[in-house]
Amino acid sequence: MNSTIELLAPRYDIAWYPWAVQYFFMIAVSYASLWLAAPALVLGKKAWLPTARLALIACVSTTLVAPVALLADLHQPLRFWHFYAYANSHSWMSIGSVVLPLYLVSVLGLAWLAWRPALQAQRSTPGLSGMIATWLSLGSGITPRALVAVVGLAALGLSSGIMLYTGAELAIVKARPLWNTVWLPPMLATTGFIAASGLVLVLNRVSRLCSQTAIRQMLYVLLVTCALAGLIAISWFLDGVNAHVGSVAAALESVSHSDSWRNTALWGGITGLALFAAVLFLLTRPTLRQKHARVVLTSSQPALFAWAWLLGLVAIHMGWMFRWVVLMDVQHVARNSAGFHHYGIPAGSSGILGIVGTFGLWLAAILLIELFIPWRQAQQGGLIATPTHATQDASTHSLTAKKGASSHA
Amino acid sequence: MDAIRRSLLGQMVRLSAGAALIPFSSLAQAGINQQPARHEGDPTKRYGMLVDLRQCIGCQACTVSCHIENAAPLGQFRTTVSQYEVQHQESGELATFMLPRLCNHCENPPCVPVCPVEATYQQRDGIVVVDSDRCVGCAYCVNACPYDARFINQRTQTADKCTFCAHRLEAGLLPACVESCVGGARVIGDMRDPQSQISRMIHEHRDALMVLQPEKHTLPQVFYLGMDERFTTRPTAEPVALEVLDPHGQEMGYEFHH
Ligand code: SF4
Ligand code: SF4
Ligand code: SF4
Repeated sequence: MNSTIELLAPRYDIAWYPWAVQYFFMIAVSYASLWLAAPALVLGKKAWLPTARLALIACVSTTLVAPVALLADLHQPLRFWHFYAYANSHSWMSIGSVVLPLYLVSVLGLAWLAWRPALQAQRSTPGLSGMIATWLSLGSGITPRALVAVVGLAALGLSSGIMLYTGAELAIVKARPLWNTVWLPPMLATTGFIAASGLVLVLNRVSRLCSQTAIRQMLYVLLVTCALAGLIAISWFLDGVNAHVGSVAAALESVSHSDSWRNTALWGGITGLALFAAVLFLLTRPTLRQKHARVVLTSSQPALFAWAWLLGLVAIHMGWMFRWVVLMDVQHVARNSAGFHHYGIPAGSSGILGIVGTFGLWLAAILLIELFIPWRQAQQGGLIATPTHATQDASTHSLTAKKGASSHA
Repeated sequence: MDAIRRSLLGQMVRLSAGAALIPFSSLAQAGINQQPARHEGDPTKRYGMLVDLRQCIGCQACTVSCHIENAAPLGQFRTTVSQYEVQHQESGELATFMLPRLCNHCENPPCVPVCPVEATYQQRDGIVVVDSDRCVGCAYCVNACPYDARFINQRTQTADKCTFCAHRLEAGLLPACVESCVGGARVIGDMRDPQSQISRMIHEHRDALMVLQPEKHTLPQVFYLGMDERFTTRPTAEPVALEVLDPHGQEMGYEFHH
């Protein structure tokens, strides 16, 4: 049998639409940014305060939008209650449907606790934001530090559940060798952290918070996660060329003759390397530190940091593209017919409109937070609760204002 | 790659973090992704199908009759017959190879445990069915079936697949595809009954029977007689059917380049 030509084969549609990419992207940014907020929020590390403020916005906004994208990917969205009426403990997706709402509640609870003191301080502001602050802050009782830590820990625990289930859901699918590998879940988490730190860098810029500390911290996170992602990709590849793991070998085999897949792999590899190199470059620039640190606080930071948000965009691109390739492109690899399926992305709600719509909704969520939540003043973890006047709004405000100013570039 | 380099790379992999992930993977596979209990159907039966490829002429009568019997939307199929043009390595002689495809009603069906609402389940007679009133249309099962035997029905927006025509079997009829098969290539029956035609044929041809993608450990219960092993997995063939679009991007038909 020298040559075989496929004369007739049915056209197989893709089963999951771009909505799935949006969900996997949003939820990954959500859990990763929660962890980025954790040092300040749960452990009370002051140095991480600016990062935590930004990360919390990223976390809350994506946590709100992700379930919408998930629902939209169902062909029968109105039957979502079946998930709870007929839960199936054998299905990772069913487990996810239990973890997700709990996670959502824990994140919203945590954000509320973290923002509450600042909201209480804003109650006297005239107009709508004052009204909303009064309504949202639910009284003037103190926000116990311990409660923030406990809710924070619960959210972190649930976020691990999300990491696990989103990864396992794909990794158990034997029918798709490119998914069926233990390397996929860690890679999804790692690229999630890459995207989340990128988003914090971008938010840092567009919100004009421009915290140098946040930039430095995020660059370090990027450095570590890019290195990790590289290691995971290399290990996966080695697994395949050694044929230790049949599924990886089959996966490599299924795409090894495709130009577009080779280009995708190259693109991913080069972008990752370039990002890693650029981050390393920024972090190793001389910091021009001088004796009187207070005077030269701003000039002592490398001027290049002002451009870090561009790297942030690249990082977001990586996190999103990885999910696009994993969820959409993999579905294009034919399982029972020769070659590859080719689909254009439809213009309607299952395609481009869906992608744009989710991003639009996300932007709206961020803008609403920006409008009504005094997140810049938030002292994560209720740290500012002064011993005697825990509910004194003025003290909260002045303290944060000072802190906020010092971190300005 | 030579053997030494291979084993060296192998060592590197084993030293890497991969080992730490193995317990996780077995939990994900075995612990949670297990088969739920079967229900409904006659536990004294186990339906299966034997496709005698020597009798198949590729007429697509099964495709059409199944389509009509089960009212599938245009362009969506519970069964199809893939056709390949093959050339003999030495003589250069050309022949057509026909491969009817349908749900394998696997003994270890990966489509079942993934369903988040247990809308997809296996009956005790082995038939894998979908409760379309319960299905949420998440399409997880469509991705989980290695045989592309499932699709989301455009009309009902729920998962759809071959049911071995359970409604006809119940009424004592043969499935539409079996009934319409010109060459009598499709044989369906109860494999627990030693006297059934399928049991006798399985007994007779035991060593010659093949299933699709055996390496996936799904234990398919559609057996092929007269099969070429190279077609049990994704064929390394050249796809030649190209879509022809009109100026508005609408599909007009197919074109063959060879
Ligand atoms: S062939 Fe596919 S749909 Fe049919 S039982 Fe096996 S895995 Fe399920
Ligand atoms: S599409 Fe329907 S049958 Fe398939 S896994 Fe989802 S809910 Fe179950
Ligand atoms: S048994 Fe029925 S549903 Fe299955 S392929 Fe044949 S006609 Fe179609």
